[in-house]
This record gives sequence, structure tokens and C-alpha cells, in this order.
Amino acid sequence: MDEVFRQFFDFSIVFEDGNFEKLIDGFLYTLLLSAVSGILALVWGLVLALLRQLPGKVFAPVRFLTVAYIDVFRGVPLLLVVLIIFGSFGALAFEGTIPEAIGIPRWFGLPDPFWYGVFAITLTYGAYMAEVYRAGIEAVPEGQMEAARSLGMSHGQAMQFVIVPQAIRKVIPPLLNDFIALMKDTSLVSVIGLLDVVQVGRDIQSETFNSSALTFGALLFLLVTIPLARLVDHLIARQQRKTSRVGGPTPPITPTGMAGA
Amino acid sequence: MVNEDNSVVAPTAALPGDGSNPGGSILALDDVCKSFGSLNVLNGVNLEVNRGTVTCVIGPSGSGKSTLLRCINLLEPPNRGRILLEGKEITGKVTGDQLDFVRQRVGMVFQQFNLFPHKCAVENVSIAQEKVLERNPGEARDKAKALLERVGLGDKLEEYPDRLSGGQQQRVAIARALAMEPHVMLFDEVTSALDPELVKEVLDVMKELAAEGMTMIIVTHEMGFARDVADTVVFMDAGVVVESGPPSAVLANPQHERTKRFLGQVLENR
Repeated sequence: MDEVFRQFFDFSIVFEDGNFEKLIDGFLYTLLLSAVSGILALVWGLVLALLRQLPGKVFAPVRFLTVAYIDVFRGVPLLLVVLIIFGSFGALAFEGTIPEAIGIPRWFGLPDPFWYGVFAITLTYGAYMAEVYRAGIEAVPEGQMEAARSLGMSHGQAMQFVIVPQAIRKVIPPLLNDFIALMKDTSLVSVIGLLDVVQVGRDIQSETFNSSALTFGALLFLLVTIPLARLVDHLIARQQRKTSRVGGPTPPITPTGMAGA
Repeated sequence: MVNEDNSVVAPTAALPGDGSNPGGSILALDDVCKSFGSLNVLNGVNLEVNRGTVTCVIGPSGSGKSTLLRCINLLEPPNRGRILLEGKEITGKVTGDQLDFVRQRVGMVFQQFNLFPHKCAVENVSIAQEKVLERNPGEARDKAKALLERVGLGDKLEEYPDRLSGGQQQRVAIARALAMEPHVMLFDEVTSALDPELVKEVLDVMKELAAEGMTMIIVTHEMGFARDVADTVVFMDAGVVVESGPPSAVLANPQHERTKRFLGQVLENR
């Protein structure tokens, strides 16, 4: 029984040979990768969602391509995208087809696997988040767009000043949920050699035949993900309170409960 | 994208009674048809509205009253027929310039208010001034304040819509539309979603507007209001105008069987 316990929870290993520093450095990579690709995916997802909402026949091809993109990246494993980008970018740069600064990116002193990871996660999670934004945009009553248009706003202005601000308030909890999933999925980038907390933990595991460094990595993840999950719960509960407050003279069709946040 | 017409008819240049076309036709509908799929909602509407007049549109639900208003400001472009606004045809192939032309001149107030819930009252009234008319924020805010005071909400400037009663929300919505200095105001059953005791405060604001000479087209079920305020009452049924004329004629002495039946039912329910 002791052996079993030590296999997972012998944290003395974590504090040997500079392992602790390596694990923390690895976790900083994890956090940085999550933050950079999380922000980029938030932006890219919104761009995709807006492209998908462009009105009129003229933009039908744009809408079609956007939907196709979202379908593809939602339907393909992130690991596969990571591997494709990792293998292809370096090769294209080596052949001279694309500039080395792009093929083997080492921007801001960060290693190329980091940036390959950023590309892959942004492309994939952008597609997920686009769907979340879409749900939020579609949840804004049609009367809002009509009111904005009747005041002379263009479709773009109505989106920018009326629809999207309301949609984003509605989708903050699901976006945070996606961010938690994104953070966990950064571990996939370890397979292309990024020394994130998972890769460092694996190295220690194969040297020591003990999994405690990985358990320690798991604890570091939980340190961030559990508070985030609680925050999501809190935000959802607050939204529900606000929505149920609507009543009386206010017609239930307008989500006026969202106001004044 | 400067439209020649915009320079000729600047938003302030053609307010009611400016002399350019006093009392003349501001809006004319000729055989306007609108269908949604196989559902024909408007089946050839003819209507003429003179500058500075109040037109009340009455009729049973499903008769196409709301769709008529939505066609006039091109929220639903008609399938057939012509609409002339200030002498310019706005139907046919709808272009961006055409939309701008219409929406600079036609304001609309909705049954469900459709205030922007993430903006307070004064922001609701000022945002389109800033973004569409490109007024500077201070100017837009002053105008918004003045309009909110005019509709009796001078003490609610910073309130968000969910803190306002239905009647207050609707008055903000009227101020919001007025801020764009429209030449024609459309009202789509603006009191239907209100509790009975809140109806009067909204109708009073509309009466004041009418007295000031605003051209108004009002879809309403308030027969008393139509009788008191309308210059013309239009009775619609099954997507056509059945009968129109002064309230004394249409409401007090209807000529058509359908009008009589409708008014009989409405009065019975009083």
C-alpha cells in the first residue's frame, strides 16, 4: 500500500535536483500558452462569428467558408492539428517556401513549439468559441437589431454597439468554460517538445519510475481550474438571478435583466 | 457614399411645415404587396399621407398593419408596388443609400420598446445621434436630456431600462426616435404591451407630438385616441385598405360591412 501511495504522492522527488524549478518553469509555459492562445482564440472566434452573421447574398460565400472552417476545426482532434502544423511549417521553411521567421517562429524569445501550439490552439478553439459567440448573438432578440437599424445604424454599427455587447455578457460563462478546456489541452503541445509542466513531469517520471511529479503538475492545474470553474458557476447563478428578476411591466421577451451589469 | 439627395435634403431642412411642400404629400403607397413565403400579408395597399397629419391604422390582428409600417421603413422591403417618400421612390432594388435616406427621415417606435438594455436612458437616446448623425457626445447628450425631459423623464436619465416601467421605457423609445429628427414617425401598437394604467402617459406624449405638427402613422387599438387625434383613420383587413377618411366618417359612420363588424366587436368588448 505504501508503494502505491509513494508512486503518486512522493513529493520529495519534486524537490530534488532542481525538479521544482523545472516544473514551475514548465507550468509558466502552460500558463503563458493558455493566456496567449486563449486571447487569440477569443478574438479569432468573434471574427468568425461575425463573418458568419454577415447579411445578404453578397456575403453568402463568406458565410459558407466560415461554416466550413468551423465544421472542420471542431471535427478534428487538436493533437492532429498540432502535429500537422509542427511537421509542415518547419519543412516549408526548410525548403524556402515560407520565410524562416514564420516557419520556425521564435518570437519574443519563446521556442518554436510554443508558437506552433499557439497556432494550433487558436485555430481549433477559435472554431469552438465562434459557436459560443453565435449562440450569444442569436439569443439577442431580433427587435434589438430592428431598433438599431431603424435608427439608421448600419449592420456593422448595430453589431458593434448593440448586439455584440449584449451577446458577450451572455456568453462569458461558456467562454470561460472553453478557456478551462483550452488550458488543459495545452498539454497536447508537449508531444512536439515544448517543456511544459506535463513534459517536465514525464521526463522526471521516466528518470525516477515515479509519477509524483506528474501528480504535482495535476495539482498545479487544479490550482487554476477549480477557482475558474467556481467563477463560472458564480457568474451563471448571477445571470439567472437577474433574468428571473424581470417581470412586472417588463415584457418577458426582452432580456432587460441583462442591463446595468 | 455621399448621396446627392442627402445634400439637397439635409435632415433639418425639411421639417414639417418648412414651406417646401406645406401640407402636401410626404408619403405615398401605390399597390404595395408583401408576402412571406406563401403567406400574403399585404395585397395591394394604397395610401397617401400628408405632411403634418396623423394617420391611425386600425383593423383586426393579422390584417397587415404592422407589416405595413415595416414596409414603409424598409425593415421588410415590399415585394411589389411603389412607396414614395418626399417624392423619391424608395422601393425597387434597395441600396444602402436608399436605406440611409429612409431611416434618416422615418423614425419607428415598437410594441416591445426594444430599448438597448445595456445602455441607460440617456445613452439609449444619444448613441445613434453619435454614431449615425456624428454629433459630438456632449451635443448628443444635451439633446437626449432635453428630449427625455420633454417626455417627462428628466429624473430618469441614468436609469437602465430594467429599472423603468413599461410606460417609461416606451417614452424613452419615443425620445430615442425623435433624437434623429425624423420627418415621419411610425408607431407600431406602442401601448399594447403596457399595463392599462401606463397607457395614458404614452398617449399623452403622442398627442403632444401631434399637436406640434409631427407627421405620424399610428397602428393602434385605442379607438378613443384615434377619434381624438387622427386626421385620417385607415381601416385595414386582409392586407388591403378597406376604408379611410376622417374619424368622424370611418369611426362614427363606417360605410363598409367589414368596418362596421370590426368596430362593433371592438366596442362590444369595452
